[in-house]
Amino acid sequence: MQNAARLEQEAVNAPHPQLDLSGWGLRGTAIVYLLVMIALPVFVVFSSGLQAGLSGFWDNVSHPHAVSALRVTLVTAAIMTVINVVMGTLTAYVLVSYRFPGKNVLDALIDLPFAIPTLVTGIMLVLLYGPQTALAGFLQDRFDVRVLYARPGIVLALLFICYPFVIRAVQPVLVQLDERQPEAAYTLGASGWYTFRRIVFPAIRPAMLSGGMLGFARALGEFGAIVIVAGNIPLRTQTAPVYIYGKVEAGNMPAASAVSVVLLGVALIVTLGVDWVQRGRQHG
Amino acid sequence: MKRIFLLLVLPALLTGFSGVQAQDAPAITLTLAAYTTPREVYVEVIPLFEEYWLQETGQRVEFQASYLGSGAQSRAVAGGFEADVVALSLERDVTRLVDAGLITHDWQNNPYNGMVSTSLAVLVVRPGNPKDVTDWGDLARDGVEVLTPDPATSGGAQWNVLATVGAAQRGYVDGYSADDEGAYSFLVDWLSHVSVLDPSARDSVITYSRGIGDVLITYENEYFAGIAAGDEYDIVYPTSTILIENPVAVVDTYADAHGVREAAEAFVAFLYSDQAQAVFADKGYRPPVLQAVDEEAETAEPGGGALWEEGALDPDRFPPVEDIFTVAYFGGWDRIGGDFFGDDGIYTRAIAEAQ
Repeated sequence: MQNAARLEQEAVNAPHPQLDLSGWGLRGTAIVYLLVMIALPVFVVFSSGLQAGLSGFWDNVSHPHAVSALRVTLVTAAIMTVINVVMGTLTAYVLVSYRFPGKNVLDALIDLPFAIPTLVTGIMLVLLYGPQTALAGFLQDRFDVRVLYARPGIVLALLFICYPFVIRAVQPVLVQLDERQPEAAYTLGASGWYTFRRIVFPAIRPAMLSGGMLGFARALGEFGAIVIVAGNIPLRTQTAPVYIYGKVEAGNMPAASAVSVVLLGVALIVTLGVDWVQRGRQHG
Repeated sequence: MKRIFLLLVLPALLTGFSGVQAQDAPAITLTLAAYTTPREVYVEVIPLFEEYWLQETGQRVEFQASYLGSGAQSRAVAGGFEADVVALSLERDVTRLVDAGLITHDWQNNPYNGMVSTSLAVLVVRPGNPKDVTDWGDLARDGVEVLTPDPATSGGAQWNVLATVGAAQRGYVDGYSADDEGAYSFLVDWLSHVSVLDPSARDSVITYSRGIGDVLITYENEYFAGIAAGDEYDIVYPTSTILIENPVAVVDTYADAHGVREAAEAFVAFLYSDQAQAVFADKGYRPPVLQAVDEEAETAEPGGGALWEEGALDPDRFPPVEDIFTVAYFGGWDRIGGDFFGDDGIYTRAIAEAQ
């Protein structure tokens, strides 16, 4: 009773109209900001890509060079995502579960790829895997693998750039994970692997997925590092962003916009997927 | 997309930084929008002009210079970057400004057809020429790895494609018939030896200097720039190649709006002076060729320019080449855009067939 009365009293005292006003002001600002900064540019690209009608759009997108460029981008991004999810989860698990010297430094290093211009990433990879380096010579002679100016180079560049995504998504979930559950499973005789598979993995699966998908979406648009390490040969190592850049340079905006629309569409679907996965985590 | 944004923003930023320190309030300011490679030239020519203009008129002139890829620079000016003078890598990028209504005078109405510097498409090889490359035909030989910039991203890279096709059509590539079919199959053959298509000519030189590729197709002036930067490689002159011509023009609309037409025109005229051309030559550019009155001329005679006649240039530095043709041989840039690099162009088909 006392509580209810106090709540009632507070409700009467609360400056409702003003609060609502500032609330609407905040909401309006945020929405306008989103519209101006994100939605408007995206809309402009969509309308420019569809300017020549659906058939013009289709002609631009189905050009063999465009199809190949999109395929190279999607395939390399997908390969990178699989590696990133597996290795990122492993790294996050190690960082949360084990103690070792230099752990804090390592933890700080993880975010470095976000701060490095991707152009620099490309240059670093060229210095490391360039044809004159011992590493490249070894890979070429021993395994007949050419890293630079081939698809492995693209995947390596994407891995570097998207390195933090999965780790930073999984790590906080692992930290919050109730330690008693795996411990209970373990004392009940479950093996380490069984415990991970049945207890830890279901808890971090949404984070792995959303981290992987965000990395995938980020990889679709990568230009700076790829233009340096890929070789950019049409139908072989040319990615969609490099193809788009070529079309812009050639003044062919409809073709550039059309391929951009496809990339944007894929990225949109993926980010909606991330949203869906994260909602699932909250409810589940 | 990030790169495109930078291309739009950079000219504005660069102009903010490259202005010369002012002692007093400057009388006038000239804004120069240039492509990247002749930066070394303009850094030396601009002070010469400032001194010249001060002596001639008593007026102090201050420069703001921006350097960007030719196509991007041209689009920036067309999009509102208010440059008084443009120095670009190919005629088509000036034509864009004419079409946009920014250049209204007949900018090619001078003895040099509006072209302030020239160069040649050449072959660069490793020191000592280990693969024994002597002419275009060697690009299609087994075991030769070729570098050239991407014609899609680098307008200037289109010169390289034109040079090889023209040389083959004109019968200077052994093993290929001197007609369209022969030229096309030569193009397919050497394109299949290309391992990296860098976004610009300078990027291509950098990749080559990292040890990638046996032969680099580039411009004579890029070879000299590389040598000046301490790189070590040899140059091979093909028997037949294209004359690369770089235009310069006053942008009427902006020069008038800023009230600097007189100085802008004087600057462009100054670039053709012996004083300025000596700087161009020092940096590896062949002084412009005095155009024959017949504008249909499809070939160029090195040695036709005023500086050549005066014997001021070292023939060992700029050796003569047997056959030099110009873009007029292909019908000019308007034709080249579609015939070579359009969706069904010769290059577009050849690069697909080469894979």
